[in-house]
Amino acid sequence: MLSKLRVVWTVFYLYLKQIAIDGFIIFTVIIQPLLVALLAIYMLRDTEGFQAIYVIVGSALTGLWSGTLFFNSFNVQAERWSGCLENIVGSPTHLQTVVLGKALANITISLSSMIFSYPIAAFLFGFKLTIAHPSLFIVSLILTILALMSLGLVIAPIFSLNPGNILWVNAFEFPMYIVGGFLFPVLMLPVWTTPISYILSPYWAARALHATSSGNASLNEVFISWGLIVFLSLIYLYISSWLFRVLLQKSKEKATLGLQ
Amino acid sequence: MRRLITSLRIFVSGAWLSYIALFHWTHPASYIASKIVMPIASMLFFLYLGMSATGHDTAQFYIVGNALQIVAVSAIYGVTMTVSRERNMGTLIYLIGSPANRLAIFMGRAFFNILDGLLGVVIGFIVGGFIGLDLTSANLPGLAITILISSISTCGLGLMLGSISLTALNIMFVNNTFFFLLLVFSGANLQLDKMPAWIQSISKWLPLTRSIQSARILINGAPLAEVSLLLASEFAIGLTYALAGFIFFRWFEFQARKRGTLEAF
Repeated sequence: MLSKLRVVWTVFYLYLKQIAIDGFIIFTVIIQPLLVALLAIYMLRDTEGFQAIYVIVGSALTGLWSGTLFFNSFNVQAERWSGCLENIVGSPTHLQTVVLGKALANITISLSSMIFSYPIAAFLFGFKLTIAHPSLFIVSLILTILALMSLGLVIAPIFSLNPGNILWVNAFEFPMYIVGGFLFPVLMLPVWTTPISYILSPYWAARALHATSSGNASLNEVFISWGLIVFLSLIYLYISSWLFRVLLQKSKEKATLGLQ
Repeated sequence: MRRLITSLRIFVSGAWLSYIALFHWTHPASYIASKIVMPIASMLFFLYLGMSATGHDTAQFYIVGNALQIVAVSAIYGVTMTVSRERNMGTLIYLIGSPANRLAIFMGRAFFNILDGLLGVVIGFIVGGFIGLDLTSANLPGLAITILISSISTCGLGLMLGSISLTALNIMFVNNTFFFLLLVFSGANLQLDKMPAWIQSISKWLPLTRSIQSARILINGAPLAEVSLLLASEFAIGLTYALAGFIFFRWFEFQARKRGTLEAF
């Protein structure tokens, strides 16, 4: 267990240093959420009951999701492209453990979207930003990390199972913004999309974060969201383990580990 | 005459080959994901965000703005990458070494992306038709001209960014930033006349702003003459960006030859 934790920490530390200076990552977790926040504030500021904190949390969630999607979809592929995948698979440490370290680094860097969206509303627009329930918000944020990290561990093997899968990555960014209810309630969407939202942990994370930051939901609703985040994350982790097994088995059988 | 025909041949063949090579577009999945699903999902996101603020009656405003914004996918990403990948793939050295007409090579990189941008907007309008776009009183020929001009002018910006990409290490950062800047400042999602002066000042210098404004007027059945000035200035802006890009391209070529840095990163 300790050796696994050491691997996770080493991968986390090295990968964090590597991605912190990547231009694409800087855009995805800082510039894009900032521009989304700017646009959303101008679009929503005249609406009845407008809360700047709602926009800030929602915009930050777009950055968190984009980070989770793009970084995790390339997590295994990047090792393949750099010729390290065969070495990792050949080592006694499981590939999923290495990817876990990378997923943690991804989510850590993605969290900066929440920090950088804040000044837009506070300084540019002069909105007073207050979090209604700070302690509950922190718990929600920790559970959001769990939700996105476990989803990231599902995304990584899916986009690596077949080299063609990676071509679809762009198609998943905005749909999650919509069904995740990041910046508007999913009640606005056609009814058939609701079950899709319900099986996605980012939707429950958005509900918990919005409820605890804006203070517009009961404590009961927050607890339900937390429970569902944990429940869905456990399911995602189970699916992820299975997908990694399939990925490794398939790669070894077909000798495609190093295939570019 | 012979020189002109040669230049024309280079323009067409260069345009076609660079287009099909782009993004591995020989693979339909990449095209469907990047050119259909992503822009349509982006349109739906901003449509619902807008409607959550101003109600269902304003759906047309957001559909028209975001459908026009789809040209930016081809114009910004497509055009820029056709230029920048010449360097990444190691073909720039042969291109520069050839005696081919530089203007034909350069402008050719935008040609199929202009047509592709048109197709993207048409798809956007078709999807829009299912979610609240009403074209019954629209001036359709005028709208078609507007879409064409918007695609040309935005590709002009793409050509300029493409030239910059020849000296930039991370062009996706520039591309993504400009794509989102257009989303904010082109008026696709905001009523520019109600925005602060600094936003209006920036939007005046960008392509798409006037096309979106024109499209919204033409959708209500206005004659083309009413927006002719807007469209003329939109075209002029696109041309200015394209020429600036070409000048930068020639400057890059000159410097690269002089310093031997054609393949340096």
